[in-house]
Amino acid sequence: MPEFVERGTLRTMIQACYLAIFAMSWDVLSGRTGYISFGHPFLIGIGAYSTAILSKKFGVPPEYSIPLAIVITMFGGLVVLLPALRIKGSYFALVTLAFMELMYQLVQVIRPDLTGGTRGITGIKSLTRGAEAGYELAVTLMLGVALGLWLLMRTRFGTALWAIGMDEDSVRGSGLSTTRLKTMAFLVSALVAGLGGAYYAHYTGSLAPRALFDIDFLFTIIVAALIGGAGTIIGPMFGAFFLIFLLEWLRPILPGAERYFVYGGVALILYMYQPKGLVAIAQSLRDRVRGDNYDHRA
Amino acid sequence: MKLRLGLIAGLSAGLLATTALADIKVGFIGSLSSDTGLSTLRGAQIAIDELNDAGGVMGQQVSMVTADTGEDVIEGVKAFEYLAESAEVDFIISGSIDDVSLGWMPRMQEYQIPTLDTWTSYIGIIDMVIEDPEVMAPYFMNIASDEALATLYINFGAEVLKAKMGFESVVILAEDTAFGQAITGLVTDALAPVAGIDVADVIVYDIGTVDFAPIFSKAQNSGADFIYQVSSVNSQVISSQYVKLQVPMAMTGVNVSALGMEYWEDTGGAGGGISTLSPVPSVGFPLDPVSQGFVDTYQSKYDTRPMIPHFNGFNAYHGLKQAMAAAEAAGGFSDVAAWNAEMLKQDLILEKDGQLWLRYGFWQHGEVEEVTGRTYPQNARFDLTSPYEDAQPSMVVIQWKEDGTVGVVYPFEYASTEFELPSWVK
Amino acid sequence: MTQILIQGMLLSGLYALIAMGFMLIFSIGRTLNLAYGAYLLVGGYVYFWLCQQMGLPQIVGFAGAVTAGVLMGLLKHRLIVKTLNGDHVAIEISTLILAVVLQAGVVLLFGDSSKILLPIVPGVVTVAGAQVTFNILTATLISWAVIIGLYLYISRTHTGRAMQAVSMDAKGAALSGVDPDRINLITWGISGGLGALGGVFFASYTQLYPGMWVAPLIISVAVVIVGGIGSILGTLVVAHIVGFMEVGVSSWSPELRGVFTMILIVAVLVLRPQGLFGREETH
Repeated sequence: MPEFVERGTLRTMIQACYLAIFAMSWDVLSGRTGYISFGHPFLIGIGAYSTAILSKKFGVPPEYSIPLAIVITMFGGLVVLLPALRIKGSYFALVTLAFMELMYQLVQVIRPDLTGGTRGITGIKSLTRGAEAGYELAVTLMLGVALGLWLLMRTRFGTALWAIGMDEDSVRGSGLSTTRLKTMAFLVSALVAGLGGAYYAHYTGSLAPRALFDIDFLFTIIVAALIGGAGTIIGPMFGAFFLIFLLEWLRPILPGAERYFVYGGVALILYMYQPKGLVAIAQSLRDRVRGDNYDHRA
Repeated sequence: MKLRLGLIAGLSAGLLATTALADIKVGFIGSLSSDTGLSTLRGAQIAIDELNDAGGVMGQQVSMVTADTGEDVIEGVKAFEYLAESAEVDFIISGSIDDVSLGWMPRMQEYQIPTLDTWTSYIGIIDMVIEDPEVMAPYFMNIASDEALATLYINFGAEVLKAKMGFESVVILAEDTAFGQAITGLVTDALAPVAGIDVADVIVYDIGTVDFAPIFSKAQNSGADFIYQVSSVNSQVISSQYVKLQVPMAMTGVNVSALGMEYWEDTGGAGGGISTLSPVPSVGFPLDPVSQGFVDTYQSKYDTRPMIPHFNGFNAYHGLKQAMAAAEAAGGFSDVAAWNAEMLKQDLILEKDGQLWLRYGFWQHGEVEEVTGRTYPQNARFDLTSPYEDAQPSMVVIQWKEDGTVGVVYPFEYASTEFELPSWVK
Repeated sequence: MTQILIQGMLLSGLYALIAMGFMLIFSIGRTLNLAYGAYLLVGGYVYFWLCQQMGLPQIVGFAGAVTAGVLMGLLKHRLIVKTLNGDHVAIEISTLILAVVLQAGVVLLFGDSSKILLPIVPGVVTVAGAQVTFNILTATLISWAVIIGLYLYISRTHTGRAMQAVSMDAKGAALSGVDPDRINLITWGISGGLGALGGVFFASYTQLYPGMWVAPLIISVAVVIVGGIGSILGTLVVAHIVGFMEVGVSSWSPELRGVFTMILIVAVLVLRPQGLFGREETH
């Protein structure tokens, strides 16, 4: 692949890969169980900040700081967000949103010598040099996460998550512990978020609270998952690539603020047209083509 | 219909610009919808037009590609990648704000594309140049760094606030940002020993603060003679509430929103009495003929805001020409070490009435500035001691009067008006 | 102490007005309208455009802002809520996207530099050592008038009682002859108008800028979560808790302003999910 495209396009694909990882992480929890998380930047941020602080301020090599960051993300998310899983529906969304805002405020106030305060941290050690190597790493990560999740979702665990999204009470009625299931889903989601966040921090080389704990970032993640198709593996990846490439293709045509306007508008229309996402649109197109061939309706 | 025609015209203009024989490509990185970003963009565009009219650089025409950051850190990283790898520019001119510059810095280090920052003044970046001059060779900052700004401000404290106004103590009102912390630290360390003004209290506030009434009450209770504000984010809120509440104390300091001529219009006049330090050339700053010529061209070419370019517009205009001159001497931009050496040699002295007025030059490696006792390699040259014979002062203090005029109040050599208390404080 | 009391009262009145519109929608439709902050954004900018740029009288500015808010509310209900058939998640996401689109629209029209609204009523008075601007005093008084008006409307009029009924039990209300759809539409309209009005006042406190929809949304979320749904009184009381807390923290340690509000939200949600004054949700 890298041989056939321009380096600039590779960079765009790297961004898309990372967004796809974040969107898949969101989807494990929210797309399947219906517990909408507005606090995913909170998890990604913990992963990114942990590895950045460990490697930059304490000189821990990335091969240790990244796994540590993932563990911290899972642990931190568990301690902080798990109580929220008691809460249903829109309230869950709100409490996770509150956590994101809280984190944004705290990162700046508490130990700014470590977190870099509002300016964030720059000069985080890069794992790769050049677009090709960065691309290979990002694609490997994305496909690895996708494969792992795909295998996991084929198990009874995956089916049970779906069932929670459909009707939590009947799952509980059938004797399964929904709390255990939700906790598992949450841990998997946090693992992927921590992994993505940590590698992303090493990729961009810099991070700032305004870029991470931000409603725009949250917006991009959720929209990628939903535009692509929530509750699937391919959907969030598809959505991420679609959105990132849409933004980059618009750049030379609409360099200024119009770009975000068009981008948001396209997302809104697509989502309103088919809340199940591009995957569902593609499926219905395929069905229609097949349907015409067999011509059942006539 | 009109919109569609406009779009097509814009599209084809864009296509023409890229397909024309443009051999030297300049990339602009910054916000395309802020006064800050537009100042740099237009300053650079005017310089490019003038270079092209004069036959181009090294016999080649110069063209510009823009990349919008929306003042967002991640968008800034993507914008830099776009300029470097999709547009493949030779040189980048930046109107980024501090954290956006810090965001794309690792990319600049990786791509090694000559880059000139015209707005970011963070001393931490100059420290990076000192630490690793090789990796930072492509980077130049042609605005005096914030440490230099704050240092000269102390003299304003001694010569105006203490000597003329008789202020003995200050309460510092600083926003909770890295910028706020840095300036607060510099000012608190030096005000008492150098200017003889005691710091009664330091109040740090959250940048999302809605209502400043309790904070101003706290400041008044400190018993200080005046307020020193440090605000770069949402700075219009604190200053307009100061005016609306008619807080009975003088307030001066750093207020980034008051740096452009649009301040008066944006605040609807609710900003009289506010004074702030400003990089040079500020609003209300008397201009030398060359810089005035730039402003005239600017105003004949653009009729939307900012009506007068901010300081970084001047930096971009002069800086871009210097970068091109350096490239001409170094045989292009590709040999970064050679370009860096030539860029360091650039030195433009602008005179007004036979006196040095503005100087666009750079501090060399190892060259120690006397007042602060440190080096500022690849940073804009500035002067911290009157009578400013080596370069212009690192900053001036400007004040907005209640009738909507604005003028420089310090240093006296550059002053066009006097520092006054707002009418409700007198 | 008197200072904190006065300043707290003033800020809380504004917060109560802002949160009221958000609470209405959340109570009636159980829908999180994440584009609620956009009413404030649009209201503030419409007022600025009419009064400060066109030089029209203030009453025109207010009328324009509120009309724009009501229209937006009605349109959102017709185009988004109806289309998505009450799917909560889809509505939440669509409104979030809409808010981001509107923000981009404002940048397009007005640029992204912040703007200051002139005081609606100029002048300032010192009470017990606290400066009080007539502008903020007016904002607070109007807020109270609107809240009392809203309370009377909901408790005394036929439509208002129908709104209460729908909020408690939409199916039951429908059985007793109330058209929930019409009530929903009216509520979205009122919510939009309240938001836009709140936006003018909020902007006259702070500033106009394209991202200004986030902060009031967070405040509304805090007030409604802590207060619980369906209670005007709860909203009013909690708006005062949040307002006084902010003023209190501001006069003690201003950099922690937002932290306590967030901690309050999280604590209440985890310990008492239905809010301090809300009723238990039945499913």
